[in-house]
Amino acid sequence: MAAVRFSEVDKRFGPVTAVSGLTLDVADGEFMVLVGPSGSGKTTALRMLAGLESISAGEVSIGERVVNKVAPRERDIAMVFQDYALYPQMTVYDNLAFGLRRRKVRKEDIDRRVASAAESLDITPYLERRPGQLSGGQAQRVALGRALVREPQVFLMDEPLSNLDAKLRTQTRGEIRRLQQQVRTTTVYVTHDQVEAMTMGDRIAVMNDGVLEQCGTPEELYERPANRFVAGFIGSPAMSFFDAAAQADGDGVRLRAGALDLLVPGAPRLPAQVTVGVRPEGARPWSGGGSGRLGPVRGTVEYVEALGRETFLGVATDGARLIVHHDGRATEQVGDAIEFGIAPGGLRFFDTDSGVAIA
Amino acid sequence: MTSRRDQSLTLVILGVFSLVALLPIVGILVTAVQDPNGLRSFGSFDGIHLGNFGDAWTQGHFGSYLRSSTIVAVTVVVVSSVFSLLAGYAFGMMRFRGADVLFYVLLLGLMVPMEAVIVPLYYDLRDLKLTDTYWALILPQIGSSVAFGTFWMRAFFRTVPRSLVEAARIDGASTWFTLWRVLLPLARPAVLTMVVLLFMWTWNEFLLALVMVSDEGLRTAPLGLSFFQGRNTSNLTLLAAGAVIVATPVVVLYVFLQRHFIRGMLAGAVKG
Repeated sequence: MAAVRFSEVDKRFGPVTAVSGLTLDVADGEFMVLVGPSGSGKTTALRMLAGLESISAGEVSIGERVVNKVAPRERDIAMVFQDYALYPQMTVYDNLAFGLRRRKVRKEDIDRRVASAAESLDITPYLERRPGQLSGGQAQRVALGRALVREPQVFLMDEPLSNLDAKLRTQTRGEIRRLQQQVRTTTVYVTHDQVEAMTMGDRIAVMNDGVLEQCGTPEELYERPANRFVAGFIGSPAMSFFDAAAQADGDGVRLRAGALDLLVPGAPRLPAQVTVGVRPEGARPWSGGGSGRLGPVRGTVEYVEALGRETFLGVATDGARLIVHHDGRATEQVGDAIEFGIAPGGLRFFDTDSGVAIA
Repeated sequence: MTSRRDQSLTLVILGVFSLVALLPIVGILVTAVQDPNGLRSFGSFDGIHLGNFGDAWTQGHFGSYLRSSTIVAVTVVVVSSVFSLLAGYAFGMMRFRGADVLFYVLLLGLMVPMEAVIVPLYYDLRDLKLTDTYWALILPQIGSSVAFGTFWMRAFFRTVPRSLVEAARIDGASTWFTLWRVLLPLARPAVLTMVVLLFMWTWNEFLLALVMVSDEGLRTAPLGLSFFQGRNTSNLTLLAAGAVIVATPVVVLYVFLQRHFIRGMLAGAVKG
């Protein structure tokens, strides 16, 4: 096991910069998730770590060793690919044993390690099958097994769950996490799915347009996003934003946007124009002034997302569009008028021009 | 869904074209086993006379011609296949400066017909003292075969997921090992199809042999057949038997590799 370090790493494809100035430390044994939208540079960063892409500038280290010029096979890493990349003409056993044979591991050790990986992934009955005879979930487990059996210093995973259906994805998510905690191998995991990132990562690195926007624990990213991009990307449903005029008023700040007029007690010093972010759970149906929420804010229901245990209502007010969280089933229908309150602690403020969070 | 009428129409059209393609072949086969003295017209039938093949073989020196053809075709196919596989792998899987330009230069070999280069090629090979040797037949055909083979294998390698090669690299396989042990087993239909096509084209090459060799011991089968025809313009049965002898190796190879050939031709065209 080893720590991983990206130090001011750039990757350029001709005139296009895919990754710019990436500096990131992954601790020994840590599960680090790189998350971001398509084209954010997360996969390129992973491929540079794997040695599958050259590095235009900066340094990538595994343990104490700078690996910029080290061939992939000498980096002591194992990778799980999005399409699994199983060798189609080989049996599952041979797929698992391939990397060990290349490293001249003794046959008895190969047998033992393959059997152990197959057992922990529940693929022992399929060892003599070929990848074409496996279901998507089984193939996915074989791909994991191929990485596991190598006992490498670092696991690299490139969106390994994206080809699975929703139920299997949730199940495999837990399985990967369990295995990682069992072997404590440093893992860098790439995904565009922020739910995967939040549920799996010890820490999450959010990337956008080739730049690392923020790196922190899931809680830090959710509670204290560094900027508007991270605030909008992390959390489902996403945070709602509206631009407001801010004015100091006694101990608090008065926010005005259209007909919306909120006096926020204890708010930080804000510029005259500010972008306000509200998480769905920060806006709830109005239950009177005693709740401590700001309001009531009046609006019209635009859409209803009933998930059974909870309901999210898209609400348009004069001045903002917000998502209101409702426990259980909501009685409101599209077009109904609604009153709701906003928890003052749930408000986040961002500079309107730069998007940087205002603490 | 195709209607019954569409299916019938398709069958009729395919049947007509199959007949057009097969009739001359059946005609030659039938003529080749006719009584050489009783022949009335091309394609007529009056019993089977397999002795014609023996006569044609001895009179036409087909043993020598087939030996030359085998030497040339096997060498060209083996060397071209290896080169094509390596070049196709490089063009299909690797990223390197100038790859596109190099590939288009290579494609020129596909586009320029042998007739266009045969005269300068003759002078070049004569200067190198290679005319009237097997090299004069082998080297130019390796050149043109590698152009096609590279084009063919590059197309195949482009269909292989890059992640497969990357997985092998991370697993510790060298480029060489990845090609032979990971990719070649997948490429088998494409390689065998290429082998059949190259063998067929090399075996049937006529102009090059006509221009480059004059020694009868070096004559290839199609050239030998042509000389044999010149000597036996009136004996149709012997001519047909000679034609059958010359065509047989290609047909045997095709039948032997047919299953792979069809799969290779369909590769990339059909999902699955």
